[in-house]
Amino acid sequence: MHDHHPHDHVQRPLRLGVCGPVGTGKSSLIALLCRELSARLSLAVVTNDIYTDEDARFLRSAGVLAEDRIRAVETGACPHTAIRDDISANLMEVEALEQDYPDLDVVLLESGGDNLTATFSPALVDAQVFVLDVAGGGDVARKGGPGIERADLLVVNKTDLAPYVGVDVVQMRADAVAARDGRPVVALSRHDRESIDALLDWVLAVRSAHQHGDLVPVDPGPMAPHFHADEHAHSH
Amino acid sequence: MADPELLAMLLADARLPVAGHTQSGTLEGAVMGGLSAADVPSYLRARLVGVTRVEAGTAVAARRAVLDAEPLAAVETAWAARTVTPAVRVASRTQARALLRLASRLWPDAVLPLAPLPAPSRSVVLGALAGGLGLGAESLARVVAYDDVQTVCAASLKLLPLDPAVVTGWVVDALPGVEEVVAATAGIKDPSEVPAVAAPQIEAWAHAHARTTRRLFRA
Repeated sequence: MHDHHPHDHVQRPLRLGVCGPVGTGKSSLIALLCRELSARLSLAVVTNDIYTDEDARFLRSAGVLAEDRIRAVETGACPHTAIRDDISANLMEVEALEQDYPDLDVVLLESGGDNLTATFSPALVDAQVFVLDVAGGGDVARKGGPGIERADLLVVNKTDLAPYVGVDVVQMRADAVAARDGRPVVALSRHDRESIDALLDWVLAVRSAHQHGDLVPVDPGPMAPHFHADEHAHSH
Repeated sequence: MADPELLAMLLADARLPVAGHTQSGTLEGAVMGGLSAADVPSYLRARLVGVTRVEAGTAVAARRAVLDAEPLAAVETAWAARTVTPAVRVASRTQARALLRLASRLWPDAVLPLAPLPAPSRSVVLGALAGGLGLGAESLARVVAYDDVQTVCAASLKLLPLDPAVVTGWVVDALPGVEEVVAATAGIKDPSEVPAVAAPQIEAWAHAHARTTRRLFRA
């Protein structure tokens, strides 16, 4: 057992965050996870909406989970604040779900769409997925930022749209891998079964690590860790 | 224990992690109803002679109840009876949940008198904390009234953007009104003395706002 994580079995459900810019497919990704995993895992979702509860309503209408397992947090036009510095509203909703559904395995948290610097506090989520899409432009992965570089998983979404928006998926994925120092990247299309399985494998592996007490939540920052800056000095 | 005045500053600080940034003091509902930037100082004034006195008076009565080891339920009922719109009651109780969550971690003994209440209002929680932590009635009323002014003004910077110096000028101009709230409420001993001064237009705006789907603020 690791010194920093003395308990060998974690009772609390995994809290998995999904963040990324507006329109990259966060809600669809969560709907996909619910569709694929709800037969074997007990799931719940907390959405963070820019207005009221439109993302929660989208998920409820998708019929992927019982309606009461999908709850909305209103962020007061500050989606970044609600997942980063003042996470109270989100924590309260997660704790309420955990109390209402003691069998929960995973709580998925969807951030309100924000800019490239918005990432979850490790006090709110155990692991986080950052979502980009090819339609946002092939150069976004190269721009970097805390989520792109250091989220636990980077998803490059909607790869099936690449031919229509003139993006080279292979290059975009290579840029992402290069920006991430070996951290995982999934180039995802909901029409590509292999990519869906890669995403599910990652989620299940993270859940397993959480259950065994081996998952240490990592802050992607807004600030790069110091050693990181030094390592990067020689590259690119 | 720290000086209670420092506690007052802490409770009035927007950086307190209680999701205060989701609140506009019904300003958003008022703006949807036609209020303009030029009207905001009057709106502040209307709150200070109306709903804010209910909140400050409730907090003072809750503090008194804790000091006298009386149950808080009567104070909560007095507040609810004076807070007509469900939207305003829900907003207060939601904010109270966040404050209670924080206070349970920081001052577990001070929140004990709140245990019998299933969903206390924010002012009752603030009053109970003041009682448990040694904050005086005047300071408590000042925190409640000042916080209301700042909540509206901070929200107005998002909804009706202006030079922030202008908006801070509104805060400064409202401070005598804050002191009037303190004078009117700090002496309250019993829940029946909490001012019953509803502001029907604010309640109507709050009610309509809670039913909209395109709002930036929770309330």
